[in-house]
Amino acid sequence: MSELTSNNNLSSSSTGGAAGGFNFDHVHRNALLQHQLATTSAASNNSSSNSSILPLATKTGTTIVGLVYANGIVLGADTRATNDTTVADKNCDKIHYIAPNIYCCGAGTAADTEKTTELIASQMELLRLNTGGADHSRVVTACTLLKRLLFRYQGHISAALVLGGCDPIDGPALYQIYPHGSTSKLPYTTMGSGSLAAMAIFEADYRDDLSEDEAVGLVRRAILAGIFNDLGSGSNVDTCIIRTDGSVSMGRNDIMPNEVGPLRAQVKRSEVMNIGKGTTPILKSSFVKSKMMMSGGVSLADVTVTAMET
Amino acid sequence: MSILAYNGAAIIGMSGKDCVGIASDNRLGIQYETVAMDFKKVFKMNDRLFVGLAGLATDVQTLDQLLRFRMNLYELREERTMSPQVFTNLLSNMLYEKRFGPYFCEPVIAGLDEKGQPHLSTMDLIGAISSAKDFVVAGTCEGNLYGMCETLYKPDMDQETLFETLAQALLASVDRDALSGWGGVVHIITKDGVISRELKGRQD
Amino acid sequence: MFGSSSSSIIGNDILDIGSRKFDHRHGADDNNNMIPYAPPSLLLDSLNEHDRFEVPNVADPAHFCRTNFASTCGGGDSHQTVKFAKGTTTLAFKFDGGIIVSVDSRSTMGAYIASGTVKKVIEINPFLLGTMAGGAADCSYWERSLGMQCRLFELRNKHRISVASASKLLANTMNSYRGYGLSMGTMITGWDETGPQLYYVDNDGTRLHGRYFSVGSGSTYAYGVLDTYYRPDLTVEEAIDLGKRAIYHACHRDAMSGSINNLYHVTKDGWVKIHAIDVNDMHYEFLEEKEKERSARMASS
Repeated sequence: MSELTSNNNLSSSSTGGAAGGFNFDHVHRNALLQHQLATTSAASNNSSSNSSILPLATKTGTTIVGLVYANGIVLGADTRATNDTTVADKNCDKIHYIAPNIYCCGAGTAADTEKTTELIASQMELLRLNTGGADHSRVVTACTLLKRLLFRYQGHISAALVLGGCDPIDGPALYQIYPHGSTSKLPYTTMGSGSLAAMAIFEADYRDDLSEDEAVGLVRRAILAGIFNDLGSGSNVDTCIIRTDGSVSMGRNDIMPNEVGPLRAQVKRSEVMNIGKGTTPILKSSFVKSKMMMSGGVSLADVTVTAMET
Repeated sequence: MSILAYNGAAIIGMSGKDCVGIASDNRLGIQYETVAMDFKKVFKMNDRLFVGLAGLATDVQTLDQLLRFRMNLYELREERTMSPQVFTNLLSNMLYEKRFGPYFCEPVIAGLDEKGQPHLSTMDLIGAISSAKDFVVAGTCEGNLYGMCETLYKPDMDQETLFETLAQALLASVDRDALSGWGGVVHIITKDGVISRELKGRQD
Repeated sequence: MFGSSSSSIIGNDILDIGSRKFDHRHGADDNNNMIPYAPPSLLLDSLNEHDRFEVPNVADPAHFCRTNFASTCGGGDSHQTVKFAKGTTTLAFKFDGGIIVSVDSRSTMGAYIASGTVKKVIEINPFLLGTMAGGAADCSYWERSLGMQCRLFELRNKHRISVASASKLLANTMNSYRGYGLSMGTMITGWDETGPQLYYVDNDGTRLHGRYFSVGSGSTYAYGVLDTYYRPDLTVEEAIDLGKRAIYHACHRDAMSGSINNLYHVTKDGWVKIHAIDVNDMHYEFLEEKEKERSARMASS
């Protein structure tokens, strides 16, 4: 079941084969590069802190929440992705598919949450096919696979997850999973940088006997609290309802409180910004006609195989 | 100084009406010393798909070769060209495979999908995809590029307007960045073919 | 002028006169014993010690300043919260027709180009020029301070200060702040009774006399051009062209230099500003020139 299980060492990914698992080829090179750059660029100075040399990965900088109500689970997330102080994506998707009856919200390093949930989703599908082709999986299975993966990497895969779903054995189940692999089964939970703002809303208004409408309303308010009070979170509210009857309602961009379209439309564009044709000085211009046809495949003759530089 | 900024780069991808454009600067430097003014950072994957790679030059070239290899293999095996969506996922997986020893590269992908509609996406150095409808940027003057694109972009631009917008956004951005510039190149991808233009930019 | 006390024997500390180090050592009780040159602070109380810094109130102010407020070139200040504007190519050379001072005009903060219109030649007085490399604030502040000291000298002595003395005043100031993390690489040029003079002064307290200097991140490129084409017997036109070309080549290759070339000519009647040309225009001018030369060669062969 492990994504690292592969006896086929000969087929490395660069030759097109799927070996699977992480590749540590560049670790040593990168360590040397970092060391070298740190010593050369600050040679004149006695600076010791050179953490700035490491490039930053995109973070979700997130508010994600989940709660259990009588008839199922409601998950919620904001849609901002950040790279340091820059908003890298104004409308990203943080509610990931795991199984038809299970979804998972992710906070932390964007690539980690994305790839971890993708991997577990594929393992869950294989498991279903191997065990009689059921149309649903158990939430606790997904939780166990996720925590084992994260524990193995000792927190280096920075994915903080809110896993929720409904299965016939346990009914609605909501788990919180930390990057180091610890989990807890909870009636309501929040994670990410906006978790405090969202939890404040939950703590004030959560009840055991919420109706679906009330539950969704509470999740929306919790996410909005994150969007407006946490600088790492922003843009829109995504929600997802997973019911005990197996139905799922994805509320992608459920609320869009930060639409800039109408505001932009009000802005009178200066004539200066309409750049006339031929403004930019050009040294050379060329046009290469496309060999591809619109829609429909190409024949083998159309494939251009360019020689590799050696 | 970050390794991503060791050689310097500025890349923009921008959508228009039934066309999409990608632009990059020409500089290759070693920190603050300019070594070449004709360095290629935007690569043609097929007639409707271009990828721009900003970051460490050695990884830019390695990734280009690796991508071309995978593209050719795909086309021979599947007897069809790769769509931008497939390409984005391929590249994302290639980058994430090296999660703990990454390529120091931020890609910008610009292409037309099977329906001839623009596809734009970018990712960080470990493959977190972020797609956009309007524009994507990468490089050492990311902030400048975002600023220029936010002001100059209009939806549904024709080919020529898209070219001027891309060119002006690029040139204005690199003129405020020490690590990129020395001229640029713009490719406009349409269903009929690709218009490629070399820009006359400041040489300091 | 010298005081009558026993401490008037001239020692090594004569070099420190007028500097902060001197004031410290001869402060408090020693104040009226030996005043060969009254520090400006005593003459101008209203300006209140304008030629010295308020230093941070910590155990080791020099170390504190060096680690938190240094303005070194390159990535040397990448760990600092405070980053200063810097990055430069400046050059100056003596020749038979006087002195040429030629500089670029770019100021960078990290990779960001903060300005493209910086005046890096500081006009101290009609016969003295200073150039600016390193920390922009350090240079402009201390060269302004130098300007004031030179004017006071003129008023006191009824003749213009020599370039040697002026550069020494600046070197002394730099010496008294050694280790505080100041960043200044400057050339002091001018015409005095001894003719055209050129000195290099930097934040280490170095003071050098020479025929030609280039300072800043792009100086190596400029030296390449100067070393190849410099002759003492250049005509004024040739000298201007050399100054212009050296700056162009530096701006072309060095990311931290660029924008506009300001060029000054110093003669016995004082300095004259010759031109301010965009180096980008120069690039195409030289390109055309190269093309012409090539076609001429092709035609002759």
